[in-house]
Amino acid sequence: MKTIIRFDHVSKVYGSENTEVRALSDVNLTVEAGEYCAIMGPSGSGKSTAMNVIGCLDRPTSGSYYLDGVDVAQLNDQELAHIRNRKIGFVFQQFHLLPQLSAMENVMLPMVYAGIPLPQRQQRATEALTRVGLANRLNNRPNQLSGGQQQRVAIARAIVNQPVLLLADEPTGALDSHTTQEVMAIFAELNASGITVVMVTHESEVARLTRRVVWFRDGQVIHPNLSPTNLAQVTVAAV
Amino acid sequence: MDILESVKMAVKTLTANKLRSTLTMLGIIIGNASVITMVGVGQGAQRYASSQFESLGPNVLFVIPGSSESRNRTLDAPRTLTLEDAKAIATQVPTVSGVAPQLQTQQAVVYSNRSTSALILGTTPDFSSVRTFDVANGRFISDLDVQRGTRSVALGPDLAKSLFGASDPLGQTIRIKNISFQVIGIMEAKGAFLGNNQDDVAYIPLSTMSDQITGNTSPYGTEVTFISIAARDENSVGAAQFQITNLLRLRHKIVTDDDFTVRTQKDALEVVGNVAGALTIMLAAIAGISLFVGGIGIMNIMLVSVRERTQEIGLRKAIGASQDDILVQFIIEAIILAALGGAVGTLIGVGGVTLVSMVSPLKASVSPAAVMVAVGVSSGIGLFFGVVPARQAAKLDPIVALRSA
Repeated sequence: MKTIIRFDHVSKVYGSENTEVRALSDVNLTVEAGEYCAIMGPSGSGKSTAMNVIGCLDRPTSGSYYLDGVDVAQLNDQELAHIRNRKIGFVFQQFHLLPQLSAMENVMLPMVYAGIPLPQRQQRATEALTRVGLANRLNNRPNQLSGGQQQRVAIARAIVNQPVLLLADEPTGALDSHTTQEVMAIFAELNASGITVVMVTHESEVARLTRRVVWFRDGQVIHPNLSPTNLAQVTVAAV
Repeated sequence: MDILESVKMAVKTLTANKLRSTLTMLGIIIGNASVITMVGVGQGAQRYASSQFESLGPNVLFVIPGSSESRNRTLDAPRTLTLEDAKAIATQVPTVSGVAPQLQTQQAVVYSNRSTSALILGTTPDFSSVRTFDVANGRFISDLDVQRGTRSVALGPDLAKSLFGASDPLGQTIRIKNISFQVIGIMEAKGAFLGNNQDDVAYIPLSTMSDQITGNTSPYGTEVTFISIAARDENSVGAAQFQITNLLRLRHKIVTDDDFTVRTQKDALEVVGNVAGALTIMLAAIAGISLFVGGIGIMNIMLVSVRERTQEIGLRKAIGASQDDILVQFIIEAIILAALGGAVGTLIGVGGVTLVSMVSPLKASVSPAAVMVAVGVSSGIGLFFGVVPARQAAKLDPIVALRSA
């Protein structure tokens, strides 16, 4: 099986000597292709920092991070941008759609940066939006869509460049329980079709719908492979 | 990402916020319009003044009292130039073909119950040939008139019309300063010179003027306001200027500072060119400052815009925009604003120049150089003032940018 994420003694330190904060401390972590995993932990546990490093938005202070076999720590800004564009699809809590663009145009944006010609962009954006059930909302602006629909547009945007990793940061944090179910169903379906999904969440109901939970505390992975089904006991024990 | 995509994206962003984009462009629009209008007007003024001096003819010289320095110090010209100087020039300077001393004053002119104020110009017969003023009807002042101090007057056509209307003025008697003059001739229309109407003038013999109208006001003899001189031909103007200067220095017993100035048409054109050139530069500088201020306006709005669009920038970076992509995007936005503002400003400027040339005698025209400079400069300003905000945007940390909700 192919390894998508490999943290090899990764540390992330913020601030200078006196005000040093160790957000990640010697973390080892592996995520294989096709996994569906949730990163959990109390606030300040380092799960957001881990997320940023995984998403190539931030570089580790020490240690190596291999994404799809490439040591990301060695890459410059241009190369990191390229990796984010081709290998990673981001979904955020606040959707982060551009308000002046239609659903279609929002989904086409990553392909613009990838230099894909317009006809192909339109075709692939339409396919992606159809896949998340928004085939009839192609030309709506974000403010003409509900929260759940906006998050589905964001998911379509994340998968349109066929990334190896779908990375979601509290993807249901701004949604009610009904739309949360809808969005989680889409993640499950995407994972079933072979996409590796990693999401940061603090909602155990959401984490329960994944297949693996990684538990962070004090900048370290204290449970690398929890079963989502007996999460409740572990959560209490871990905190 | 290719440039065309960046431009499309910038247009989309700018049209999403039309009011702000328009207001941002306003500074550049005004700056550009004023550069083009000001330079057009400045050059129009230069061309107008030059054409006026050129109409004098290339072999005309003027002697005016006072050095160019002393005339800068006071409004009242020194009374150092006399009729005797003019006579000496006429008889002793070989390269001169005509000398027309002039003594002038503004006076009321009366015919029966009509009265008007006009320029009274005492001169000699040479005036008509030196300054190419032709007689339409009757005759101009003769040598005899000057010798005897006759009370004869030749009228400019406008003055004749305002005194006599449609009736024939020849042989009629008018009164200047309560002295009767007989009308001996009517001049051809000549038009305005630097804004002064040359047709609203009464010409009388110089001797009559100094004896009866102004009185002898100079301690050196019969004062004249200035002397118009015709050189024999265009090539002898330089020699004439030299000879006249030497002659007057001798006559005025000058050791150090001249109390007169001999000016050729070329000198006058040069002065006009200098003055108008300075005027144009000054106008262009003022307009350039407003263009600069417009650029600062763009930078200001762009900086605010970067701050406002922090999340957008973070998102773009997360989905694959490099620092260069963001930099280029913001710079293109700035350039579009500046170039579009420049184009609109140019149109307004062209309109302004056309308006000026329609309502004033200034033959203002749109200078292609000014248009090119203004449009180039405004695009450059967009680039220059766009760089700072664009760099700020490009350097934004995507994590911070995305979390700033």
